[in-house]
Amino acid sequence: MSTVAEADSKQEALPERPKELAMHFDTLHQQFTTTKLGMWLFLGQELLFFCGLFTAYSVYRANHQEMFHYAHYFLDWKLGGANTVVLLCSSLTAAWSVRCAQLEQRKGLIVTLILTFLCACAFMTIKYIEYSHKIHIGAVWGSHFGVNQADFPEHLKETYPDLTSEQLQQMNAGSFFAIYFCMTGLHGIHVLVGMGLYIWLLIRAIRGDFNRKYYGAVDNVALYWHIVDIIWIFLFPLLYLIG
Amino acid sequence: MTEVAYETEHDIVVPGHEDHSGHHEGLPGTIGHVSPVKSLVVVLLCLLTLTVITVAVAQVNLGRMNVVVAIGIACVKASIVAMWFMHLRYDKRFNFWILIGSLAFVAWMVGYILFDSSMYQHNIRDYRETHNIYNAPIPDPHEGGEGHEE
Repeated sequence: MSTVAEADSKQEALPERPKELAMHFDTLHQQFTTTKLGMWLFLGQELLFFCGLFTAYSVYRANHQEMFHYAHYFLDWKLGGANTVVLLCSSLTAAWSVRCAQLEQRKGLIVTLILTFLCACAFMTIKYIEYSHKIHIGAVWGSHFGVNQADFPEHLKETYPDLTSEQLQQMNAGSFFAIYFCMTGLHGIHVLVGMGLYIWLLIRAIRGDFNRKYYGAVDNVALYWHIVDIIWIFLFPLLYLIG
Repeated sequence: MTEVAYETEHDIVVPGHEDHSGHHEGLPGTIGHVSPVKSLVVVLLCLLTLTVITVAVAQVNLGRMNVVVAIGIACVKASIVAMWFMHLRYDKRFNFWILIGSLAFVAWMVGYILFDSSMYQHNIRDYRETHNIYNAPIPDPHEGGEGHEE
């Protein structure tokens, strides 16, 4: 009897456990650093995931430079550049949202989360314009590639007036577009996932889930978002700028 | 009750180690480093400037150096994002080494496969030429085309 009463009084002596603290952690700080470690391990393997495609790009580019040179005229660097600016701005708002969560600025957190989401929407809209134009003129992957000379970009027509559609097919320009669609497509899927995550964060932020000691979700999604941005930082010059 | 459970490490001030980052901002007990607005905006401006530079340099024909410059600027941009936006500068060192470790494997895979594939390219080229498969016109050198790699 007495031992049970003793145990009861001991439990009462402990301070109330924060509701955000999962049962398998001792402190909120431990919980935060552990989830962050997990996130970094995930991001490390994300880089390896993309690495396969970057390897494909490097091998094809090193061995078929002329194909890359002609095919890169089909990409509009202005649209790619606009997407770069949009993503960089979204990275700022993502980093800012972490700051707002740390400082418990709920309104600021909601605004920055919405801005990040809107930037992602803008990115996908520009991506949609690019994709639909390419599919429309037939600048697509593999053996499906077939663009009429009339649909060649103006800059390509001016520079190489003698270049024909058959020549592009003979040098397998479709390989370039297979790589282009795989790389930007996988990146685009990551952006879509990020948009879903930001909606989830927005719901939780409106509910008031986050505080100065519990904002790991905001921080880790922002880390994911920055990696998506870093991938694009490499995709933009490699695909759009250097031919 | 001698100690408070569920306390954060940051609440415990070790003499001589009060401030780690030089500029301490935020509410008492905040976990992690709070980035000042000024540094976030400066980082964005740096990234935008580097984007403009990379676009501008790509318009100039530097031959083989175009790739090097483009990847170099991209690496600088990525480092800036990782160090400041991703807080790696103020984070636990171990997370930094996870990133470096991952990048080492990226470099290994790209480098090794690139090296390997270049070993047998001349066989493919010979085959295509003797069988008259390969008819791609070589771009004008003044337009930035680098022609065949030898």
